Amino acid sequence: MNYLDRNAPPTRDERLGACSAFGGSVCQLLDGSKKGCLGGNGRAFAQSTGCQLMLSLAIAGTIPEAVVVFHGPVGCGSCLLSMPGLSRQNQAARGNADSIGQVWFSTNLNEQEVVSGGEAKLEATVREVDRRFRPQAIFLAGTCVPAVIGDDIDGVAQRLKGQIAAKLLPLHCAGFKTRIVATAYDVVYHAILRYLLTDEEETREPILDDEVKRLEYDARKKRTVNLLNVASMSRVDEVELVRLLKALGLEVNIMPCFSPPSRFVKAKDAAVSISICATHDDYFVEHLKELYGVPYILNTIPIGTDNTRKWLLDIADFFGIRREAEQLIAIEEAAVKKALAPIRAVLQGKRAFVCAGEIRAGSTAIMLGNDLGMEVVGVRAYHYDKYGDVLFDSLPDKDNLPVNVASSQPFEQVNLLTKLRPDVYLGHLGGNVWAAKLGIPVMPIFGPLNSYMGYKGTFELASRLERLVRNPAF
Amino acid sequence: MATFIEKPRYSCALGGALATVNALPRTVPILHASLGCGGMTSASYNGGSGYLGSGYCGGNSIPSSGITEKEIVFGGVERLDEQIKNTVEIIDADLFVVISGCTAEIIGDDIPAVLRDYNENRDDKAPVIFTSGAGFKGNSYYGYDAVLQSIFTDYVEPASAKVKGLVNLWGIPPAQDVFWEGNLVELRRVLESLGLTVNSFFTDQDTLDKIKGSASAELNIVVSPLHGVAAAETFKSLHGTPYIVSPLPIGAQATLRFVNQVTAALGVDKSKAASLAEAESRSYYHYFNRIVDAYSDIDLQRYTVVVGDATYALALTNFAVKELGWIPYLVVITDEVTEDQHEGIRKLFEGTIAAPGETVAFQTDTSLVPDLLFERWPRPDGSLYYRLFSPAFILGSRLDKDFADSIGAGFLAVSYPVSNRVVLNRGYAGYHGGLHLTEDIYTAILQAR
Repeated sequence: MNYLDRNAPPTRDERLGACSAFGGSVCQLLDGSKKGCLGGNGRAFAQSTGCQLMLSLAIAGTIPEAVVVFHGPVGCGSCLLSMPGLSRQNQAARGNADSIGQVWFSTNLNEQEVVSGGEAKLEATVREVDRRFRPQAIFLAGTCVPAVIGDDIDGVAQRLKGQIAAKLLPLHCAGFKTRIVATAYDVVYHAILRYLLTDEEETREPILDDEVKRLEYDARKKRTVNLLNVASMSRVDEVELVRLLKALGLEVNIMPCFSPPSRFVKAKDAAVSISICATHDDYFVEHLKELYGVPYILNTIPIGTDNTRKWLLDIADFFGIRREAEQLIAIEEAAVKKALAPIRAVLQGKRAFVCAGEIRAGSTAIMLGNDLGMEVVGVRAYHYDKYGDVLFDSLPDKDNLPVNVASSQPFEQVNLLTKLRPDVYLGHLGGNVWAAKLGIPVMPIFGPLNSYMGYKGTFELASRLERLVRNPAF
Repeated sequence: MATFIEKPRYSCALGGALATVNALPRTVPILHASLGCGGMTSASYNGGSGYLGSGYCGGNSIPSSGITEKEIVFGGVERLDEQIKNTVEIIDADLFVVISGCTAEIIGDDIPAVLRDYNENRDDKAPVIFTSGAGFKGNSYYGYDAVLQSIFTDYVEPASAKVKGLVNLWGIPPAQDVFWEGNLVELRRVLESLGLTVNSFFTDQDTLDKIKGSASAELNIVVSPLHGVAAAETFKSLHGTPYIVSPLPIGAQATLRFVNQVTAALGVDKSKAASLAEAESRSYYHYFNRIVDAYSDIDLQRYTVVVGDATYALALTNFAVKELGWIPYLVVITDEVTEDQHEGIRKLFEGTIAAPGETVAFQTDTSLVPDLLFERWPRPDGSLYYRLFSPAFILGSRLDKDFADSIGAGFLAVSYPVSNRVVLNRGYAGYHGGLHLTEDIYTAILQAR
């Protein structure tokens, strides 16, 4: 895969034939996916969703020492006002200097500029951002309006290159371009690949003429992995995954979220990239492989003991250390199984419904069944593509288990929940309220402080579920 | 040319319109906008407006045509028509408001024609009206005004005669004013205590039927020097009702002025108003009285910096000066206002602060606020007797907390965004609001005790 000669990546609709509208059983979904005849996306009654621009912030909005310039009308980007205080805390948790804090600008396009073009204003804004904050990087986030009126944000970046200190990263994230909002990840990675990896050779690990240093560097590179994080995981999760990887004797580069712009170049110097979510990373890891020969692992997500085991074994097989990994897994699983036993007794047989991105929805459903003895009565994924197949294939009772593919669309979810009446609902965020208003206890599985991944995450999520069912009065 | 803005403290017209429509009784918005406009803007207000919540049909339940590339190329009226027809089938509401976004307007969809067609054949289904919410036309405040104008133009029924004692109250944009509902409820209470009947549009005491009949009001009361004034003009030209513009009254003194202004405009018996105001004042100071010990023992006077939209900047500054005896050193108005509006807005501060020309500044960008203070107060120069800007307190939004921390000032988030507080029925307007604000300010100052 190499789309870097294009200004913008293809949409997921185009590249993966991803589907955002489906209702049926898991079996029918898998059937459709394998035959390549999903891809339904239209709705006669639609409800509001996020867009590429909003989701691009899940990476771009976390980068320290960088500023996001929203090129568009004043509302595009206003979602950042919902929690402006959290950024500082998140950066501090990663030990980042975060010298300028979270800063964003709007070019605040008005009616006149819709007619006459907004490039001059974008240029003026970027110059002022550079003057005022001296960031390492500036994202130029193009919204619907400049996309329709034909502003050339790449041209603006090109013109300014060399005149200002910051790296300029155009993001092509007009919301109307795709219903598969996850295209946003490709958009941000596209800019990172084009502008933070290619022309910064000087900042790479120096390959010295000293033979000993070179050997040291090579040895380290051979056991260094890129661990690709996502904004919707906590620092606690990162710590857990790093703990497991270190137990296998590996060194870890964590990126892209909360990674300073200057650190991305290290991605080239790893033995392998490890994704925890194909929805998030497939575009990036494929390009790293194609361009820099860094292979990747992205089969599963370390949620629940089954998938954490698979995830660790995939990595171990790559490094040829399966035996060591099996020892580690045996110790970890025995410990967590013992810890889960009393919780499992409480949760056994409770009926659960899961709503999240395809990878997380599938893996969480498997965890609830296998680790906690719960019965999963329905699954909802924001969108669906081939990367969901492995996980969904291992769900129980595939013929009957209902699945709904939809980004938000609470109307569809309310209908489904009214029929299924689960004891508990596990959801990502945003849509949870509509389950709560049906009187169903809700467990948010996303949270900047929640532990969710690896063995610790399995235990923590189980503990939270046990707490939830203890008093579902809310 | 509207300039670029760092961290704008509002969303766009669509965001403001959406929050406004969601606050109307039994009214549901239908977006004709890019996929994502609803999610983006409702996220701004859900977290940023004291955890507003999705309400009846907000958040990601907002019906939306979700414009994609196909509609950009071929036009979106068919998709809108389909969305409207299915929405009225599925969602139980008495009024729907189509709000257009940027893309719909750039491609030139004839939305009024779609609505005309629907409304002519709707039988007993709920009516649908239209508000333009294109973000390039303005910000949230513009969207608030635009919805009010649509309601006044296309929903409110013309009245043949005015009803004595009926007034309409607005100027407080839902969600953009984080304390909107508490503020409206309190001002409604104050006006009702004068014997008036009040349409406040957005509280749970309001109904669509009463809104429909609001043309028979004898006076419109706008409690903001900027926001809602355009709608008052529209109302006046359509329905002939005059309006008054008042600052948002906070505390006993400001509320008394408000009451006097209303009674003067209505020409009603002033003695009744005076005795009511006196009873309210007595009750207000009965509680306020409690802080006098602490104020006197601990020294609770502060230098203050006020940052917010024109409505709050004016109201908070007045409250800090008149009720708390504080000293405002800098007032920053974060609205997008033109240069020729500056003088008029500064004038409103006369009688509250000594030199509005020096104290009141206009700045949309958060990171430039500290510079504005240090243009007015010397920066630390290392001398032994450098006079610190202390004790100080910042009344601003959540965005101003870093600045407060950097100068060791106390801090309370009042103007949007307020993402660090949960707001249910709290309000700062009127008598009750003045007490709440006193509680919240001094709680912030004394929390270490």
